[in-house]
Amino acid sequence: MKGIKKAVAFAMAMALTLGAFTGCSGSKKEPTNASDDGKKTFTFGDTTFNAENEEATIDPHEAYCGWACIRYGVGETLFKFNDNMELEPWVAESYENIDDLTWKVVIKDGVTFSNGKACDAAAVKACIEDLVAVHERAAADLAIDSIEADGLTLTIKTQEPKPTLMNYLCDPYGCIIDVESGNADGIVVGTGPYVATELVTSDHLKLVKNDNYWNGQPKIDEITVLTITDGDTLALALQNGDIDAAYGMAYANYPIFENDDYVFTGTPTSRAFYCQMNYNSKIIQDDAVRKALAMGIDKEGFVNTLLKGYGAVGVGAFPDNFSFGGDAVSTVGYDPEAAKTVLEEAGWKDTDGDGIREKGGKTLTLKWVSYPSRQELPLLCESAQATLKDIGFDIQLNITADHGTIVSEKDGWDVYAAAFVTASIGDPMYFFTTNCLDDSPKNRGGYHSDELQKLAEEMNVTFDPEKRGELAIQMQQQLLDDNSFIFCSFLRMSMITKANVTGLKAHPSDYYEFTADLDIQ
Amino acid sequence: MSSVNRQVSVRQLKVKKCNTKCRLIVFATLAICLVAVAVFADRLCPYDPYAQDLSLSYQAPSAAHIMGTDAYGRDMFSRVIVGARASILSTLALVCIITLVGTAVGTISGFIGGKVDAIVMRVSDFFLAFPGLVFALAVAALLGGGVLNAIIALAVISWPKYARVARSQTLSVKVSSFVQAAVLAGDNPPQIIFRHILPNIFGPILVTAMLDIGTMTMELAGLSFLGLGAQPPIAEWGSMMSSGRSMLQTYPWVVLSPGIAIFISVVIFNLLGDTVRDYLDPK
Repeated sequence: MKGIKKAVAFAMAMALTLGAFTGCSGSKKEPTNASDDGKKTFTFGDTTFNAENEEATIDPHEAYCGWACIRYGVGETLFKFNDNMELEPWVAESYENIDDLTWKVVIKDGVTFSNGKACDAAAVKACIEDLVAVHERAAADLAIDSIEADGLTLTIKTQEPKPTLMNYLCDPYGCIIDVESGNADGIVVGTGPYVATELVTSDHLKLVKNDNYWNGQPKIDEITVLTITDGDTLALALQNGDIDAAYGMAYANYPIFENDDYVFTGTPTSRAFYCQMNYNSKIIQDDAVRKALAMGIDKEGFVNTLLKGYGAVGVGAFPDNFSFGGDAVSTVGYDPEAAKTVLEEAGWKDTDGDGIREKGGKTLTLKWVSYPSRQELPLLCESAQATLKDIGFDIQLNITADHGTIVSEKDGWDVYAAAFVTASIGDPMYFFTTNCLDDSPKNRGGYHSDELQKLAEEMNVTFDPEKRGELAIQMQQQLLDDNSFIFCSFLRMSMITKANVTGLKAHPSDYYEFTADLDIQ
Repeated sequence: MSSVNRQVSVRQLKVKKCNTKCRLIVFATLAICLVAVAVFADRLCPYDPYAQDLSLSYQAPSAAHIMGTDAYGRDMFSRVIVGARASILSTLALVCIITLVGTAVGTISGFIGGKVDAIVMRVSDFFLAFPGLVFALAVAALLGGGVLNAIIALAVISWPKYARVARSQTLSVKVSSFVQAAVLAGDNPPQIIFRHILPNIFGPILVTAMLDIGTMTMELAGLSFLGLGAQPPIAEWGSMMSSGRSMLQTYPWVVLSPGIAIFISVVIFNLLGDTVRDYLDPK
């Protein structure tokens, strides 16, 4: 009797287990991209479209939300960068630099917002004025004095010479939107091929095609952008057919998709993974410590092994496809032995034999902050932690989505590892004005260099691109000589799509994704 | 007839007790082995579990690395062994803490009774009212990451169970005649608690503690998996599984090695707990 009971119990347990597994496989559905009413649909998974990356909405006049606005084909800027990061017409057809302070921009005839309203100079003026009034970086970047609108001609006067005004206006925050339509729920009306209909921050965005699109007919009827912060969920979603394309796939999962069913589209970008030093920290103020840090990170191992070669080793702030990038500057390489000597000479010695150096009763312990949504960062941090430990550093990692709060406190951190597109507007000044100068909004560590300030002032009034490139080299070299920033690598931006997706191509700017060409077979 | 039946059942009982004893010895030996691995982890590791060698990244299990290597080229076998220290020793420390604290609170509360008892039990009700791991998550998030903080978080939510058991046992022992006799003989309260009550309530508490080790191993690993326990680069099974979970399809050994370690140790401690219960309470 007892034996029968046991057998029955065992059989039932097995049945339950089997049921659980068949349940899993049963949920796998055949991928289909046509809804019941014959509409073409497309689903995109993105790891970075969330509040953590300052992309809480798609309103370009807020933080970095313009990135989502332009990526998902809602907004378009006056000009567009080509593959060499040079300006080409988009919403505007031409510009003219009349004198140091005056610019004339001619808007294309026939451009309309998705609500049918004409996008003329008056609408662009209203948009730029609103941008300058509300955006944290735009006012200082653009230094606009006045704007005049006349039909399709826009005349912009700046307070000071702004050689890169047009480049700045092509930053994602420069998406031309119809400000009269407002930004209810973070949704704005742009001129792009798609119209946003529903947005839930850090969850999803729904788009429909813009029937009034001025530049061709979008091919997909409905698009859903899903925020999938977890790399495994993203990989499984693509394998299952829940999404048609993915941005931000974990490198470890690449082998799953290296077959005929999927297509990789990739391009080198200027998105740098770098470490920013906090000059408010007593330990970081020590030149030897910063130098040893720069010497203690194995950038090549990081790129070639941990990123599986999908990236480029960093020297300065810009990758080598820029004349002022790559080897145009120089810095210390990975050299643990030399780093040990530097620390030794500066008085950092391991007196108690625990492997961590001390000086004046202080241990060489650094609070190192970063965030997980850029999947390269945790890999970089943990790899640096191991190599720096050999040199005598005790690196205390804090990799959290709440990094913004921590780095806003002066004493809360020593090193901040982050990702930043350094040449997103094709011009070097953008990186410096955002991160390195006395009045930079993201100069989190309070770095100051007289020389850099002087060079920046010179750059601000220099119109000749070649001369600007030379200044950019000197400015980077200053950062590298001070070891105030350590540039580890540059992202090779990759999207993985199912083989039947066409017209989705990675762009060096890292912010053009959906166009009217996007299609699914 | 009935006496024959009784003889048989007594014999069965004896056989059962003997079986239980054998099982107890086997499982206790296995558990001791696990603890020994944790204690002597440093000497058992074939490689330095924290040494990064990117040229050995993602090596599949082989003779040189029987559990393969992770993204940073660290030997998984060495990391699993060292991980035993963070996982098993932390769990044992945690269970000891909550057993001592819970028993002390419960015994005193039950012995004194009255208002003290009412207050202490309402406090423990308060802790029992929350779902365990969710409450632990909140506490751990408040304290920040780290193995110590994870232990504190789990200790804060787990002691009331022991207080409850100790109190109920104390209440029943307190009214027994030998305690009454001790009171009449003039023993003071600490003497009564230590000499007469604690030895008599020890069994149920030991069983509760033994059965809890497996659960606590899982919960501690769970907190680490969620990033609230051990911080990198500390080798701890939960955090190792968490950092390897993106490799489940491509490099499964990175996540399976610590997973199997958790599975084996939880099974051993659970079986040991069951056997201890059977042994102490053969009904």
